[in-house]
Amino acid sequence: MATETTTVTDLAEAAERQRRLELKELLNKKYKWIDWKWDLVFWTTAIFVVAGAADITKQLFAGDWDFWTDWKDPQWWPVVTAFATIIIPSTLQYIQWAAWRFPTGATYTACCLFFAAWVGRYFQWDLAATYPMNFVWPASVVCAGILMDWTLMKTKSFILTSLIGAHVWAIAVWAYNYVPLAAFLQPAHFMDHVVTVADVQGIAYIRSQTPEYLRLIERGALRSFLGETQYVSLAFAGTAAFVGYWIGQFIGRYLAVWPIRRYLKTV
Amino acid sequence: MAQAQAVQNAPRSSGDGSMTTGNPANPTDWSVGWHPLFWGCGLIMLANVFFWYWNYAFMFTAGLNSASAEFTMYYWTLFWGELIVLGVFSGVWLGWLIRNGRAIEGQECSPAEETRRIAILWSLIGATSLAIYLMASFWPNWDGSWHQTMVRDTAFTPTHIPMFYFFFPLSVILAVGTYIYGRFHIPALYGKDKGFPWSFFLLIGACVLECMAVAANEWGHSLWISEEIFSVPFHWPFVIYGWLAAGMFAVWGETLVRMFEVEKAEEDANPEASLESPIAAD
Repeated sequence: MATETTTVTDLAEAAERQRRLELKELLNKKYKWIDWKWDLVFWTTAIFVVAGAADITKQLFAGDWDFWTDWKDPQWWPVVTAFATIIIPSTLQYIQWAAWRFPTGATYTACCLFFAAWVGRYFQWDLAATYPMNFVWPASVVCAGILMDWTLMKTKSFILTSLIGAHVWAIAVWAYNYVPLAAFLQPAHFMDHVVTVADVQGIAYIRSQTPEYLRLIERGALRSFLGETQYVSLAFAGTAAFVGYWIGQFIGRYLAVWPIRRYLKTV
Repeated sequence: MAQAQAVQNAPRSSGDGSMTTGNPANPTDWSVGWHPLFWGCGLIMLANVFFWYWNYAFMFTAGLNSASAEFTMYYWTLFWGELIVLGVFSGVWLGWLIRNGRAIEGQECSPAEETRRIAILWSLIGATSLAIYLMASFWPNWDGSWHQTMVRDTAFTPTHIPMFYFFFPLSVILAVGTYIYGRFHIPALYGKDKGFPWSFFLLIGACVLECMAVAANEWGHSLWISEEIFSVPFHWPFVIYGWLAAGMFAVWGETLVRMFEVEKAEEDANPEASLESPIAAD
C-alpha cells in the first residue's frame, strides 16, 4: 500500500516537473516577430476602451451620486456606486485571468477609470464649468479592485469571487471614499439650519438644470434607523455588486472571448 | 482553412516590396507596422484639442442661446464643418481601402507581410479605442457639466456638436474601416469565405447603436425630461450598447492567435533561421 502511494506520488511529481519544464521552455521561447511591442501596444491602447466603458457605465448608472459631494449620501450612493463600478472590472478580471492567469483585471480597470474620471472632472467640471474640485471629485475604486483581484488570486474561483469579492468591493468602495468624504459631512450652521458642509456646497454652487436644485439630497429614511442605515445600505450594496459582477462576467465571456474566431453565416 | 494555409506557405515574393527584397525591415518596427497607430491617434487628439479649445473659447459667449446669430456663426458652422470633414474623410479613406483591397485580393502574402498587416490592424484598433474613450468618457463629462447647469434649448448644444456629431460617427467610420482593412488584407481571418466575424459585428454594432441612441435620447429629452439626471433609465441604452465594444477584445484575441500560427509556419518552414535571429532589433 505504502509502495503504491509512493509510486503514485513519484509519478505525479515527475509529471509536475515535466509540466514546469514545458512551461519554462514556452516562457523562454523566442519568436521572430512577436516581441514586447505587441504587449505594449495592447496594454496601452486597451486603456482607452476600458476607461471609456468603465466611465460611461459609472456616469450613466450612478453619475449623479458620483458628480457631487452632497449626493454622496449613506443610503443610495454606496449601492448604486458599487453596482455601477464593478461591472467592467469584472469583465477585465475574466479576460485577464482567462488569457494570462493574471489576477489584475479589476485593478487595471480601476486605474483606467481613475485616469478617465479625473481627466473629466478636472478639465470639464472644474476648468470648463468652474465647480471646485472639492465639490466634484470622483470616487475611486482602486482599493476595491486590488482586494477583488486578491480574492480571485486566493480562491481561483469566479463564483467565490462573486460571493466574497463583490461584498468586499462594496465595503471597500465606501470605506476608501469615506476618508475624503468625512470632512464634508461635518455639521455647519447655515441659514438657521444645521446642515452638512456638503449641503452648503450644494446650495452655494448652483446646478440650475437639475430637478429641485435647491434641496437637501439626504432624506428622512436615513435617520429612521438611527446610525444603522449605513450598514443596511452596505449589505444591499454587496448584493447589488454581486449582480453587477455577473453582468460583467457575461460581457467578458460572451461579448469579448466567445466571439474569438466565430463568424456569422457566410452571406 | 485552405486559404489560411496558402497564406502561411506563400513565398516571400509578394506584398510590400521593401520587406521581401534587399535588406528586409522588421514588420513590427515602430516605423513599419505600427506607424498608423501614431498617425491615427495623433490626428484624433489634434481634432479633440481643436474642439476642446473651441468650446473653452466660445461656449459661454456664443453657445447659450441656439437662436442667436453668434450660435449660428460659431456652432452651426462647426456642425456643418464636422459633417463635411467626416463625409470627405470616410469617402476617401473607405474608398481607398476598398479599391486597394480589391487590387490585392486573392494574392498570396509572406508571413512577414501578414505580420505587418496585423500590426496595422492593431494600430487601427488602437485609434478606434481612443475615439471610443473620447466619445464615452471625455465628452460625456463635459456634457454632464453643461446640462446640469445650462438650460437645454436645442439638441445641438456646444457639447453635443463635437460629441454626437463628430466622435460618435468617427468611431463608426474607424470600426468599419478597420474591418474593411482586415477583410482584404488578412484573408486568413476575415476573408469573404469566412463569413462576417462576430468580433467586428459587436464592435461596429456598438458604434452604430450609440449613434442611434442619440436620436432616442434627444426625443426623450424633448418629450418628458427636459431637466438633466444623468442616471435616468433612458440614458441606459448608451451604456448597454457600449458594452458591445467588448468585441474589440475578440479582435485582439483572434489576431494574436493568428500571429502564433504565422510564427509556427515560419518556424516550420525555416527552423534554423528562426533560432538564429529570434527577434530583429529596431
